[in-house]
Amino acid sequence: MSDPLLEIDRLSVHIPMRGKGLLAPSVKLRAVDEVSLTMQRGETLAIVGESGSGKSTLGYVVAGLREQTGGSLRITPSRPHQIGRKPVQIIFQDPFSALDPRMTVEDIIGEPLRLAGQDRRTRRARVLEVLEQVGMPADAAQRYPHQFSGGQRQRLAIARALIGDPELIVADEPLSALDVSIQSKILNLMSDIKERHGISYFFISHDFGVVRHLADRVAVLYLGRLMELAPADEIFANPAHPYTIALMEAVPRIGRGRRKRGQVLKGEIPTPLNPPSGCVFHTRCPRATAICSTDRPHLLPLASRPAQLAACHHKE
Amino acid sequence: MLRYTLSRLSQAILVTFVMSFLLFMLIGLMPGDPLENMLEGNPSLTPELISQMRELYGLDQSVFVRYWNWLGAALGGDLGYSSLYFRPVTDVLFPAMIQTVKLMGLTLLVSVPLALLLGSLAARKPNGFIDSAVGVFSFASISLPNFWVSLLLIILFSVKLGWLPASGTPLSAAPTALEQVRHMILPVAVLAMFHVGPLVRYVRASMIETLSADFVRTARAKGLGEGSVMIGHALRNALIPMVTVLALSFGSLFSGALVVETIFGMLGMGKMIYDAIGNIDFNLALVGLLLATIVTLLSNLLADLAYALLDPRITL
Amino acid sequence: MTDVTVAALPAPRSIWSLRFEKFRGHRLAMYALVFLVLLTALCLMAWPLSQYLGIDPNKTNLLARFKAPSAQHWLGTDDLGRDVLIRLMYGGQVSIAVGLLATFLMTILGVAVGVTSGFLGGRTDAILMRLTDCMIALPLIPLLIVLGAVDLTKLGLSAAAASSPLFIFLRIVVIIALVDWTTMARIARAGAIQMRDRDYVRAATVAGARRRYNVLVHVLPNISTPLIVAATLTVGRVILLESTLSFLGFGIVPPTPTWGNMLTNAQQLIISAPHLAVYPGLLIFATVMAVNFVGDGVRYAFDPRAENEGRSH
Repeated sequence: MSDPLLEIDRLSVHIPMRGKGLLAPSVKLRAVDEVSLTMQRGETLAIVGESGSGKSTLGYVVAGLREQTGGSLRITPSRPHQIGRKPVQIIFQDPFSALDPRMTVEDIIGEPLRLAGQDRRTRRARVLEVLEQVGMPADAAQRYPHQFSGGQRQRLAIARALIGDPELIVADEPLSALDVSIQSKILNLMSDIKERHGISYFFISHDFGVVRHLADRVAVLYLGRLMELAPADEIFANPAHPYTIALMEAVPRIGRGRRKRGQVLKGEIPTPLNPPSGCVFHTRCPRATAICSTDRPHLLPLASRPAQLAACHHKE
Repeated sequence: MLRYTLSRLSQAILVTFVMSFLLFMLIGLMPGDPLENMLEGNPSLTPELISQMRELYGLDQSVFVRYWNWLGAALGGDLGYSSLYFRPVTDVLFPAMIQTVKLMGLTLLVSVPLALLLGSLAARKPNGFIDSAVGVFSFASISLPNFWVSLLLIILFSVKLGWLPASGTPLSAAPTALEQVRHMILPVAVLAMFHVGPLVRYVRASMIETLSADFVRTARAKGLGEGSVMIGHALRNALIPMVTVLALSFGSLFSGALVVETIFGMLGMGKMIYDAIGNIDFNLALVGLLLATIVTLLSNLLADLAYALLDPRITL
Repeated sequence: MTDVTVAALPAPRSIWSLRFEKFRGHRLAMYALVFLVLLTALCLMAWPLSQYLGIDPNKTNLLARFKAPSAQHWLGTDDLGRDVLIRLMYGGQVSIAVGLLATFLMTILGVAVGVTSGFLGGRTDAILMRLTDCMIALPLIPLLIVLGAVDLTKLGLSAAAASSPLFIFLRIVVIIALVDWTTMARIARAGAIQMRDRDYVRAATVAGARRRYNVLVHVLPNISTPLIVAATLTVGRVILLESTLSFLGFGIVPPTPTWGNMLTNAQQLIISAPHLAVYPGLLIFATVMAVNFVGDGVRYAFDPRAENEGRSH
């Protein structure tokens, strides 16, 4: 087993916020709290959670847009450093703000190479290559973003991410802003790219349906903490953590008959400024007992399925 | 709210001190000997005393020391003598301030109701006749030089028609109220003309927004007459934030007053500053400018406070 | 692999070509622009015309005061016997030059401060904002008068240099720019703050861009819209400021003519030659109004709502 591509060890992002009033101490917003995980090469890891779970923040740290306040992060590219190679790239949610409206498509996509100092001719050739890889015609290069639709722009954004020959792409909800019919096309494109280039995705999403199609492993975040981490087929077949179960129950299923009476989450999501003690989920958990409010559970493998890890005192 | 007020007030005080130093330096750079000039106006100082003081305070003293001395005296109430009028600066400026307050006050008395009226009428029928006329007028008011308009009005009403006096100050020692008013008509007309421009645009925009709001439709549906709707509801809502706009216009109103006072020969603050600088009267110029600064600072402060008080989105 | 049909792609249209076309549609702005170009060209003819007519615009001739328009003096002469038309033309050169130059300077200063403040944020922002607030506290005309009255020989400049017309001109440009740059700074700062959170700026950062690159390549072009609109309107404001200052005697002083100082004596001459008060002021008015119309057209043409053609929602 070669070196993992990405290693995150007890990563935290605590943002100090000014407390109200002169005397209140500054409070820390625990956007990400002691998350540990690894990614292998070629693997797609899906990060799932509600808004406010810290998944975007985590993605930004992995992409290098943000500094962590605690813990460590290590990315080990397998190929040696080369001019123009960017091991980590990013794709954003909103295709309309992902591309600079003042630049031509060629300049936008070629930007990572330009930043690495490559000359225009090399850049142009690469731009045409990646345009083909994402299914866009070559003469898109002379046009401007406003001349394209949302789905097309997302393709261009993917092309920009590909041009640096990355090994890891952080994808922050890349499909959420697209029409449903376009989503499947882009999803297929990303899947193709994964197969042809062996790229790993750090795929952030709140949509289980999409995740199911693409992910090898799934990580579930709640209030900045990792609740469950497991291979995709295992987590979909037998979710262990009560939060995961509730999330899956909440996915509306059309044409499958009545939703079975599963767990219903009670209460509202607490504020990350002052998270509950012990297991952060205990305030809404149907399985909560006394120990859940005092002891924070560690992410540990299930006895029956050791590949699946959950942070719960009552995971079995 | 109190805390915000105090913090803004202390900022304003700090800015005043900084400005007083800057102005002290600038005034010192005017042609002439600042020390001699400052002492000149004081009739009780004999040449011997002056040369003694020169030794004491000396020109080779740095500007900082001179400033410090001046500050000390100023805070104690001694603002020095005017070399132009041979009287204490306070004796000169106090009546001048009254004159300017009269001028600006009368202007406001005319411009504010006019702006409210015109703005409301314009908003009732957007793109109608009144609206277009108001638009043209407000466009012209930012394109016309106020001194030229003053001259034109003097040509028309004083020289050609002989209806109104060309000066803002009555010639007789004890003018009647009517005479005073006659002399103020042209200056106030000019100032008001230029002051209405930005105000009316604000009122119009604000009224248009309010008039299309739901609660106005409710009032109309209740059967309230048009006048009641306009005044009672729409205008009241537009009125309150206008305080902010008004406060922010004081700076340019003062600048305009300076020009108008100079042209019409009125002995207000503006003309004082103009004469002081033109005739190299250090003390008068310094104190006059400082007063102008304080007035503008206070009005900006008022605008900030009014805005903070009235905008419910800002929590203090 | 899914492909995009080539036929669906419209021809390349840069944002600038879209804008220029919109501007052309704004008739008032186009007329105003033409007017300004013609006016500038006319003013630049001052020297050739003076040579052709054999007139020295600054030479006083007390025997030829207040002459009516003639073949020699197309608009007559003023209170000192000088030709009015040629002085108006030279005056136009000065006013327009001050307008453009001061605006240029103001924009550079304002954008530098505003973008640094907005993009960097934090302490830098706080400090620069305090500085800007200080400047806003002062009423313009009084401050300009003081700056105009400063005796630069006290700062070490030679007397000859300080009184040269070129220097007086530059000084006006500088003090106006110094006093009024805060408007541009605020606009630039607001824009830069928005840019901080734009995804394409983030994408560039992930690809290795440093702050300076992001500012030059992404921020500046994208905040240009409100800045260009504001700059256009600033030219008008500067012309008004310069003429007011010159009128009061603290700006450009005679013999160099400027529309403002040609009105300085107008008050005394109001009875004998009221027409002399009309021409310079009218020119100021016409020029500033034309600039404002052009500014209106620019604002209309740069309206971002129209720039999203071809978007499918």
